[in-house]
Amino acid sequence: MKYTKKDLGAYRLHLIETDKFKTVTVRVSFREPIKKEEITLRNILCDMFTQSSKKYRSKRALTIKAQDLYAADIQTSNSRLGNYINTDFYLAVLNDKYTEPGNFKESLQFLSEIIFHPDVEGGKFREDKLDIVKSACRNSLQSLKEDTANYCLLRLFEAFDSSVPSSFRMMGYLEDIDSITTERLYQYYQHMIQTNLVDIFVIGDIDKEQVISLVREKFPIKTLKKQRVPYLLPDKKPRRNRLFAKETIDSLQTKIAIACRSYGLSDYERNYPLTLYNIILGGGDDSKLFQDVREKNSLCYSIYSVPNKLDHVILIRAGIDKENYKKAIDVIEGDLSDMCKGNFSEEDVKIAKEYFNTALEEVEEQEARIINNYYMMELLGTDDIDEKRKKMALVSKEEIVKVAKKIKMDTVFCLEGVKHEED
Amino acid sequence: MKKIKLKGLEMDVYTETLKNGFEVYLLPYANKKNYFMSYATRFGSTTTTFTPNDSNKEVSVPAGIAHFLEHKMFEQEDGVDPFTYYSESGTGANASTSYDNTQYICYGTKNFSENLRYLLHYVNHPYYTDENVSKEKGIITEELKMYEDIPEWQLEIKLRENIYHVHPRRVDLGGSVESIQKITKEDLYLCHRNFYVPNNMFLLIVGHFDPEVALKIVHEQLDSVPSIEKPKVKKIKEPKSVRMKEKTIFASVGTPKVGFGIKVPIKDFSSYDDLTLDLYLSMITTIIFGSSSLFRERVRNQKLLNSFYTEWETVEDYRVFYIIASTSDPEQLVHEIKEELQNFVIFEDSFTRMKKVWIANEVRIMDSIDAVVRNIYDDIIHYKKIIPDKMEQIRNLDFEQLNQIASKIDFKNMAIVQLLDEDKADKTKKSTKKKPMK
Repeated sequence: MKYTKKDLGAYRLHLIETDKFKTVTVRVSFREPIKKEEITLRNILCDMFTQSSKKYRSKRALTIKAQDLYAADIQTSNSRLGNYINTDFYLAVLNDKYTEPGNFKESLQFLSEIIFHPDVEGGKFREDKLDIVKSACRNSLQSLKEDTANYCLLRLFEAFDSSVPSSFRMMGYLEDIDSITTERLYQYYQHMIQTNLVDIFVIGDIDKEQVISLVREKFPIKTLKKQRVPYLLPDKKPRRNRLFAKETIDSLQTKIAIACRSYGLSDYERNYPLTLYNIILGGGDDSKLFQDVREKNSLCYSIYSVPNKLDHVILIRAGIDKENYKKAIDVIEGDLSDMCKGNFSEEDVKIAKEYFNTALEEVEEQEARIINNYYMMELLGTDDIDEKRKKMALVSKEEIVKVAKKIKMDTVFCLEGVKHEED
Repeated sequence: MKKIKLKGLEMDVYTETLKNGFEVYLLPYANKKNYFMSYATRFGSTTTTFTPNDSNKEVSVPAGIAHFLEHKMFEQEDGVDPFTYYSESGTGANASTSYDNTQYICYGTKNFSENLRYLLHYVNHPYYTDENVSKEKGIITEELKMYEDIPEWQLEIKLRENIYHVHPRRVDLGGSVESIQKITKEDLYLCHRNFYVPNNMFLLIVGHFDPEVALKIVHEQLDSVPSIEKPKVKKIKEPKSVRMKEKTIFASVGTPKVGFGIKVPIKDFSSYDDLTLDLYLSMITTIIFGSSSLFRERVRNQKLLNSFYTEWETVEDYRVFYIIASTSDPEQLVHEIKEELQNFVIFEDSFTRMKKVWIANEVRIMDSIDAVVRNIYDDIIHYKKIIPDKMEQIRNLDFEQLNQIASKIDFKNMAIVQLLDEDKADKTKKSTKKKPMK
């Protein structure tokens, strides 16, 4: 695998040459500091790209074109990266070796068509297409509570700290839909294309020089931008008194989500000891939480923890019976306290490192993960895979305990399942 | 060891059947670092009534037992559970139960031989006690509740209840909170003894490994395990019709859902082998309802679709086509789907394009070990073999035959279930309550 980064002025082009895959994958990422009031707008814009384009006037026409390119896969998505909102355009297409000469070039042209030639007339998007997208968006938001686990998470982060972007709902807001017009959407589109920071990734068995000149030609982004806002959210002290928030919902199961706040971690601590801390606590298949809450106490089917590093949060999630709420919290608290006291073995640390190493090796087997790894290196200055492997091997138990002491259970959200009985 | 070339993919599968009937399928990759192995039994949730191999008396075990048994494999007599064992080498492990099979998987990059040996060992060494069976009931109860809270899941369960008269697919594959309470360690041992036997099981490995090494381990571990006469499972006589054509259910949902299930008896197509028929059936519905269909464009423009997916289900004598959609106007969507089923036209250009897409996808999935495993696994379950020339079979599909098959399907033989928000239903309920009960 050979990595080359090329600064093309308005954006950086990252090329990853490998013969591991039969497909070539391209990702174009646009990002800017996130604003709560623009999330819904951006989601709708994101969906508009795949509804139609100037040349392909319907979703069916777009789909047929993609199918003609030997089932080229094109997707768009929005996500949050700390203080930023990030929009990805993603193309995966078979290498020309398995299709016909020129298929990749045409696929890239197609992706460029979708991004740079949207279905716009007279300075606005098409009304009928916007109506379709708005309607689907409205329905999804009205069904928000159907996914109780996800709803619990949204409510947790709103309770945790409503002043920071981790509390923003990435699905958007129902009340923001109506004010989105075809004109406003186009203005926002221009704003995104002209002012956002952009990175482009191409991975596969590619001819480097050919791809560079193709991308230059097909991705005519000209404006130069500077990044001013940091990716990491502000590092805040945990609240003095833990917050317990609760809401009821019509369901059989009760969901709990817990935000633990980390405070004062160095970059090194966040990237290394914290990763092992999380694997031991609730990230691995055989974690403390899994053993204690599920296996020993039979309180749940699923429980795990995950670090949201840019947000300074370690998140714990589980589905339980409401009668067991207090007991589950007690067991989880016990596990957090065990981590602080160093009540885990050197063997646990060794296993966590093995787990991490396997995960690293698996990164190298998937295009999307490889791209993400380079993206994080670019944005956050994280280490490359080899460096990660080396540094992780040297992490000591003491360093993990030191990190554990900087982590406090901050907010607990209980979405209590109450099934109203039919009489 | 037999070598089978996967045509058009530059890959080989190695297969062998042991003397005791155990089947081995190995697909090594030269340029991958990871591997994925699946050890599976053709025993799933639908087998709950059978005559054990050492008895003449038919027995019935509680619904959900196959899934319960799968959970309990992760408890071993020596106290080391498989998750712990695998995590020591950074290997992932899991298991899953389906209607007609159960598989135990492990995936990683290290310790291949030990991990394979362990996989073949632990799945053959059940350890059930009253205490550990009782403990699992709490865990599985939470799992069942988790699924029951998903509206689409409820819809599918109800749909199966209305499609099938007697087929055990009517019952949720995890059983119910009530049925699993009845499971005993004796039931579990009985099922393990009858269905976790070499002539009912197979092994599939894909990724970075040496097939010679893998096969040697299989022989060491399993050659001495005897095959048994298979327990008798009575053939189910499922009527041709659907049990109930239309039904409306209520739950707390933001957007209503609709489900269709079209029941297709395969004896109407006896001149086709299973694979060919499945390819044609799937091609027909992809052209009618797929992402590039005229139908999708039409309902999208009417703003009727929030989400939409389709799938085919295989049971002994039937194929069932499911449509599950979420929509703000269920009445209208049901109307549109019914119309389409009666009036669809298949154009040859769509057919040619879909063939191209399917062939491209066969190549594409080779990049992902997980996807390859899923694909081959399904073929072994459904067709009891590897399909080395699938691309060719797709290429050979014929437009005339496609239309012939499409015209023979009875698209009226279907069950429709609507799932509506219960808040709206309350009014109806109240009004019916006022009626005198006697």
